[in-house]
Amino acid sequence: MSGAASAMPARPIAIRTRDLSVALGGVDVLVGASAGFVRGGINALIGQNGAGKTTLLRAILGLVPYRGVVEIAPVGGRAARLAFVPQRVDFDRGTPLSVTDLLCADRQRRPLFLGHSPRVLRAAREALEWVGALRLLGAPLGGLSGGEFQRVLLALALLSEPDILLLDEPVAGIDIKGEALFCDLLVRLRDQRGLTIVLVSHDMSIVMQHTDHVVCIARQSVDCQGDTLTTLTAANIQRIFGFPAAIYDHDHAHGGPHAACDHHHHPGHHHPHMPPPPSSAGPRSGGAA
Amino acid sequence: MTRALLGFGPLDWLLSGAVQVLRGMPFDWARYMPEALLATLLLAPVCGMVGVFVVNYRLAFFSDAISHSAFSGVAAGLVLVSAGLAWVDPRWTLLALGLIVGLLVTTVKRRTDLGTDTIIGVAFSAAVALGIALVTANREVQRAFPQYLYGDVLLVDLPSLRVAFIVGVALSLYLLWSFNRLTLIGFNADLARTRGTRVAIYDYSFAVLLVLLVTTAIPLTGMLLVTALLVVPAAAARNLSRSCAAMFWVAAGIGLVSGVGGLILAYEQNTAAGAAIILLATAIFALSLIPRALRRG
Repeated sequence: MSGAASAMPARPIAIRTRDLSVALGGVDVLVGASAGFVRGGINALIGQNGAGKTTLLRAILGLVPYRGVVEIAPVGGRAARLAFVPQRVDFDRGTPLSVTDLLCADRQRRPLFLGHSPRVLRAAREALEWVGALRLLGAPLGGLSGGEFQRVLLALALLSEPDILLLDEPVAGIDIKGEALFCDLLVRLRDQRGLTIVLVSHDMSIVMQHTDHVVCIARQSVDCQGDTLTTLTAANIQRIFGFPAAIYDHDHAHGGPHAACDHHHHPGHHHPHMPPPPSSAGPRSGGAA
Repeated sequence: MTRALLGFGPLDWLLSGAVQVLRGMPFDWARYMPEALLATLLLAPVCGMVGVFVVNYRLAFFSDAISHSAFSGVAAGLVLVSAGLAWVDPRWTLLALGLIVGLLVTTVKRRTDLGTDTIIGVAFSAAVALGIALVTANREVQRAFPQYLYGDVLLVDLPSLRVAFIVGVALSLYLLWSFNRLTLIGFNADLARTRGTRVAIYDYSFAVLLVLLVTTAIPLTGMLLVTALLVVPAAAARNLSRSCAAMFWVAAGIGLVSGVGGLILAYEQNTAAGAAIILLATAIFALSLIPRALRRG
């Protein structure tokens, strides 16, 4: 299958699923999915709504029962630590819960009503600093914007010092600037902390610009996977998403090897933006503005 | 003999001592119902604390179902008593039926996609209907029933103080152990699961303890108003707090104040204690809306 066999040398795999099947309420939502996610890379799980990408993520996390195998490569001789950033938290915004409360609830033994543990508070401050949200320490969760909320969830994930970060639609419902900042953050986590990142997304501009590896889910299974730029050909995108090549312009967005991916496009194909990247100068400079 | 076997000796000594102290207080209302006052001191703050989760995680309807299962629990107990089984205490059948309904609702909630309110609505109606059928079929039962419906401070005796003490202590220890995990589960159950939390254990343990608390508090407030003892102080505390620690303590405080204040009010006005307690708590809730409105304005 096109894109499945990448010309790139094999990269170390952090998570591999073999013949993974999930049935929920008697309906097959994932059938025989075999996928690999590269270590130290940003991996995207893409596909149409209902294709099964979130289910694959949930199976890896052990949140749904599955048949098949999930192998998670150990890190430094111990089991890899996974941390999950959920998509939309059905959180009642009137609940008096502060950012500090949430971060400490996860890490401290002392019940919250007897105060925050100084040790955990220090770690929480560090995690918030990492995601550029230190000023949110102590803020009520109910008052946060979508982007702030997402960064707090990321800080919560970082508190457990994970090796692998799994995010479900992390930028859904965030404005474009917040989206760019969040993607920069993921890139920094990969580059500076060596994290393996797996994110579910159907935002192709983000996938094109920020991810190293894609696993495409279509019709309840893995359609194709591999290096982002070589896998996401016009033909593959059309097959996965079921509509005629709505291609995202990654030539301007990436300083990377244009030629390597350009020749995969249909000849004579125009490159309309859909949706447009944050700015024509490229998302990174756009986010930093 | 039985008492010694069950090991209630020291506990009874403690509880009777506390009752004597309350009886010796220079207030008519304290002298009139020291047992009810002690039960209130033991249960009302705990109801406020547990109410934090009932309010924040929308469990009010769940505790309503338990309290309404009391309809058939008490009715069944009273029917057994009138049938000659004098050793049956309606408070035990009340607890048994509460546990059945509580565990059933929790299990169905965990296993199906049905909305919890639908499931509870069904369980709730069945329990009330069964209770009314039993009560209306038996004249003797009809006479004893209002005691449980509206609550009766004179129902509080040494055995029920024992239960109140054990339930109060057990719930306090439970909250010490599980408060953070319950907070995380309430925030997002999947997130809690990926953090190694066995959510099922917390779901069931919370349900069982909530049943214990609700059924223990029924003699005090009556089955119609027992949910309010959980919901109203915590709801007022929610309006007044910005962190979960604040909400926890404020809810406990409001529970205590409205519990004791309600007993005094009931004694002075010669009304049912449960009604007075809840009216006082509701008044505090109304006041709590003011700072909240000011903050928003």
